[in-house]
Amino acid sequence: MPPVLIETLFIGAGTYLLRAGSLSLGSRVTWPSWARKWLSFVTPAVLGALLGPMLLLDGKGHWLPVTHNPTLIAALPTVLVAWVSRHLLLTVAAGVVCFAVVSHLF
Amino acid sequence: MPASPVKAALQDSMPIVTAYFPIAMTFGVLSVAGGIVWWMTILISACVYAGGAQFMLVGLVLANSSPVSTVVTVLLVNLRHFLYGTTLGPAFQKWTEKHKWIAAFGLTDEVFAVTSSRLQEKAPTPLYQFVFVFACYGSWVAGTIAGVGIGSAVPTAISQVLGFALPALFLALLFLGERSAAHLIAALSGALLAIAATLLHMGSAGIVIGAVAGATLGLLAREYSGKLRQKVE
Repeated sequence: MPPVLIETLFIGAGTYLLRAGSLSLGSRVTWPSWARKWLSFVTPAVLGALLGPMLLLDGKGHWLPVTHNPTLIAALPTVLVAWVSRHLLLTVAAGVVCFAVVSHLF
Repeated sequence: MPASPVKAALQDSMPIVTAYFPIAMTFGVLSVAGGIVWWMTILISACVYAGGAQFMLVGLVLANSSPVSTVVTVLLVNLRHFLYGTTLGPAFQKWTEKHKWIAAFGLTDEVFAVTSSRLQEKAPTPLYQFVFVFACYGSWVAGTIAGVGIGSAVPTAISQVLGFALPALFLALLFLGERSAAHLIAALSGALLAIAATLLHMGSAGIVIGAVAGATLGLLAREYSGKLRQKVE
């Protein structure tokens, strides 16, 4: 079995159990407020952890100099569009266009 | 005469249905462009059915992350669904156990948001909730299939450029969400720890470490700034 298939099945089953288990437990379980707050920080932390190596390292895990890193350069205008527009698809589209321009110039 | 529950459910699902289709299509294009085969891409949407988590899964697969780190990271992100079920639970008390387990399958962020805001009016009936939930799910899977169809026709030069859609999407999710100093601290410390772990050849464990430590640092920053504010007042 390819690893992606195993990962998909585990994540699918795990996500479903989180959704259904919590609905079934329902009113019986109340989460402490610190746990709720902690969970709200998991998503930005994971996004950061995914983005860091993607933007600053090459595929083999070495630093990429800024002058040879179109991904990092294209990320700057992308952040600007996200910040100003607050629009998901617009940000992705603008980002891809910026990246196409930057990689063409390199 | 009250409106039919099926019609009401379809009406309520329309905003989510129209939003899901293009996002799922983007997922389909990206996943295929990243080298994940078409049927696997559709299977991911059908089994996991969680936007952010699916894009992260593709990102982790492309980064050659180990299966254990991949599963742990994505499930950490989906842990928040536990809060959704717990929050909605009391409104579903009269439902049979079987009905609860069917409706729970489609409890995404958006479905939760709409369901919990409608609870103020009245508790959902199983028929209404099933139609509502599976209309959204149908749009998600159909959008993925459409994206897979387009993705396979995309030439290599363009799919290389499209590869940037993944970091662009993560940046968008990061800066479209709540952007307090504490959230940025969580993201930055997550990024630094993941980079450090990669440089130290610790493999993909860095993402799990970055997620757990980053979230904890974000929480501490929030608590600390709250205490400072109390002292000033």
